[in-house]
Amino acid sequence: MGKTGTAAEIELEISDVSGQKVFSVANAPVANTVGELIQEVLGKMGLPRQDSGGAPLSYQARLEREGRHLHASERIGDALESRDRLTLQPNIDAGLA
Amino acid sequence: MFAENGTELGTVAVKRDWEPLYEFTRLHFLRRGELALDGDGGASVLPVWDGSVGEPYCRGYRMEIAQPGRRPVALEFPNRHFRDFARTVASAFVEERRLAEGERFTYLVVAQQAPLEPRDDGGLQIKSIASRTLIREGSLDGFLARATTHDAIDQGNLPVFVAAEVLEQARSQTRCQEGTETGGILIGSLWHDARSCEIFAEITAQIPAEHTAGTAVKLTFTPQTWAAADAALRLRGRGETYLGYWHSHPVRAWCKAKNCTLESQRVCRLARDFFSADDEAVMRAAFPRAWCVGIVANDTAFADVTFSMFGNLEGTMQARGFYILGEGSNGT
Repeated sequence: MGKTGTAAEIELEISDVSGQKVFSVANAPVANTVGELIQEVLGKMGLPRQDSGGAPLSYQARLEREGRHLHASERIGDALESRDRLTLQPNIDAGLA
Repeated sequence: MFAENGTELGTVAVKRDWEPLYEFTRLHFLRRGELALDGDGGASVLPVWDGSVGEPYCRGYRMEIAQPGRRPVALEFPNRHFRDFARTVASAFVEERRLAEGERFTYLVVAQQAPLEPRDDGGLQIKSIASRTLIREGSLDGFLARATTHDAIDQGNLPVFVAAEVLEQARSQTRCQEGTETGGILIGSLWHDARSCEIFAEITAQIPAEHTAGTAVKLTFTPQTWAAADAALRLRGRGETYLGYWHSHPVRAWCKAKNCTLESQRVCRLARDFFSADDEAVMRAAFPRAWCVGIVANDTAFADVTFSMFGNLEGTMQARGFYILGEGSNGT
């Protein structure tokens, strides 16, 4: 069981685009990257990993405190503070397919 | 699955995304006051055994949502929900020559105990928390008195009201981008009618989608699109929430490319009430709640721009009617 509030982990709040599905993460490892965090939370938030054709969907995490999209390679411990709010925003097509 | 003569063709594990059905079930009970907005404690899909042949044969299935401290709520669904999946499997059987082209087939649904998932002690501790979605109190009758209907209204659907101005802006934007898909984000309010216990949605405005890439057959929403919409929503400062998105279908361009006659365009399934798998995927990824809707602006060569609305009905996006409000509505 992970421990909340240790230096190795921080607490985060993550929502979908609509802001209507909001989740708290109690133990985001500061050594992990933002990309790893996104991949781990998608399924737990009930968000799709693939588009309608089965291709991987790309999401970016937007950090509300700074109003910017984080790079997938950024370390959680470098970019985020405890209780930061992130929004997962996909790159996705509407279309004829 | 079985061939017409009763020969067994094979058994295939169902692949299905249950999340939209969970959202539909959740809204169903929210609308009846039987589930709190943030009161669900997890969902399960359970078999409903066939009364005559029994386990493991199903006559349907049910989506059950647990509530802390209260009895769970559950909604039953029929086996016909697996019809599209069965058709897909049948097509594969035809390719494998297990089934003849055009041959009829039947299918039975069986359920088996899911393997227990290993305890996840090392992963993220993540839990759903109360969203910031606001539900306002208002009179549904008051809205209905000021509204006109667009397409047939199914009384079972969540009532959705759209400001006429939203449609006018979408029509204008569609004309300006003729031949290219364009779109916007729908915003507004969720309302609760205390007398009927009903929930309904009011789309008050659309935010033109910026930072998109549009072609004749595709509209790409980027992370920058959502960020710009967030900024616009905050700037408005009216406590509105997201209620879906709209986009155009430049049918006239599609038909022109295929040299379709005007007669064939009039009866083309793409000309009206067409919501593609890609369109549905945008709803799934960005607006998963069942109160959210998609609007398509149909731009055809034979008529002015028309609108079709799609909403989550039993877990799939289906065409539905809606109400149009004139200018000056304040929902009270």
